[in-house]
Amino acid sequence: MQFSFISALAELELSVTGPKIILRIRAIWEALTKGAENPDSMTRILAGTLSHPITQTTISIFLVTGILMLLGWLAGRKLKKRPGGFQVITEKLVSMLYGLVGDTMGRHNLKFAPYIGTLFLSSLFGTLIGMTAVFKSVTADLSVTLAWALVTSGLVWYNNIKNFGFRNWLKGFTEPIVVMTPMNIISEVAQPLSMAFRHFGNVAGGGVLTTLIYSALALLTQIIFGWLPKAALEVFPPIFQVGLPAILSVYFDLFSGFVQAFVFCLLTMIYVGAACPPPEELPERKKSKKKIEN
Amino acid sequence: MEWFLNEFETFVGVNFWTMLFAWCNLLILYIFLKKFLFKPIKKMIDSRQAEIDGMYSDAEGKRAEADAMRAEYEARLSEAKEESEEILKSARRRAALKEEEILNDAKAEAARVLERADEEIELERKRILNEVKDEVSGLAVGIASAVIGRDVTEEEHHELIDTFIDEVGEKK
Repeated sequence: MQFSFISALAELELSVTGPKIILRIRAIWEALTKGAENPDSMTRILAGTLSHPITQTTISIFLVTGILMLLGWLAGRKLKKRPGGFQVITEKLVSMLYGLVGDTMGRHNLKFAPYIGTLFLSSLFGTLIGMTAVFKSVTADLSVTLAWALVTSGLVWYNNIKNFGFRNWLKGFTEPIVVMTPMNIISEVAQPLSMAFRHFGNVAGGGVLTTLIYSALALLTQIIFGWLPKAALEVFPPIFQVGLPAILSVYFDLFSGFVQAFVFCLLTMIYVGAACPPPEELPERKKSKKKIEN
Repeated sequence: MEWFLNEFETFVGVNFWTMLFAWCNLLILYIFLKKFLFKPIKKMIDSRQAEIDGMYSDAEGKRAEADAMRAEYEARLSEAKEESEEILKSARRRAALKEEEILNDAKAEAARVLERADEEIELERKRILNEVKDEVSGLAVGIASAVIGRDVTEEEHHELIDTFIDEVGEKK
């Protein structure tokens, strides 16, 4: 009958994965508070970025890529003028994608639609693969979301330089006044970071919450059935874990996964769209240059 | 401390290799899906849209054509109606004229015939009258000569008879 919260956690560590993540959070906290005192820890973190070429996430990435390739290939073959049921759905989704890209970025930027679609599918399936409990969510790894966010930033920078010229792009940092330059540079750096952390945080946070609830429910089982003999308690299933997590999973995995994928794509569209204004709104410089080229 | 850092690294750490794999897979997936999913489906949607648009504009054109044809037919029909009415009217008018003409001709003819008949009757009457006169005068001369028994000169006779006849005629 006598068990403290901590001892329960210690016991639970053997049965569920939750406490591990709780400990991880504590580890982050300690690393942040004590890391600064110990320079060696930062070196280790940096060294860690170059180690372990194959992580759990990598396996998930390849799996998601494979699944999406298969699905895409299945959906995109044997297209007919008079579509069957499956093709109607696929076409509806694709035309929705093109409509969204056209509305957000303008009709002249429809060439980005396949990339946005790929990003959305990768993000959505990358989150949903975590529901298998065998594979880790791709988007619960900051490496992946940061990589995607950097692609967005890369597109923004490339298109800005292409459309406005390198000089104008650099000059854009000093606007509206020169004093704002550091702010502008920070916001430019913050943009991919905030995108990456938003997506990563939502998915990983959902996972942490789910795990917390799982462990809390297991604890609840132990408290309610605590009167059972110790031997029976050890084999007693944590029955309260059935039901509630499934409902929460609809929110944390399905809904949140969908919303985060959508938000990530929407931000990408807005940022890249702003860097690619309609041809008639481009500065005079570009046009005149084109004329000379012609 | 060691495991703290390990945990920290696995939770919010950024693994360069994972990033590289994420990039590569995103690129591969992008190229693959673009080639096998988005491009073909977009092409299909666009071509169907174009076909439908073509059908609609075609149908619109055909309808306009049909409308124009109908208008033309209606115009022609009313034209024909007018024309036929015109023809009928003129025919009627001509018929009326003809009728009148024929009637007038007939009247004139009848009048002429009557006139001629009258003249002829008159002539005949006169001729007969003269004949009768001669006859009567001859008769009278004969009778008179027989009665009188003497010859009266021809001229006297005639004179006598004429006066007699005239008297008779007047009495009549």
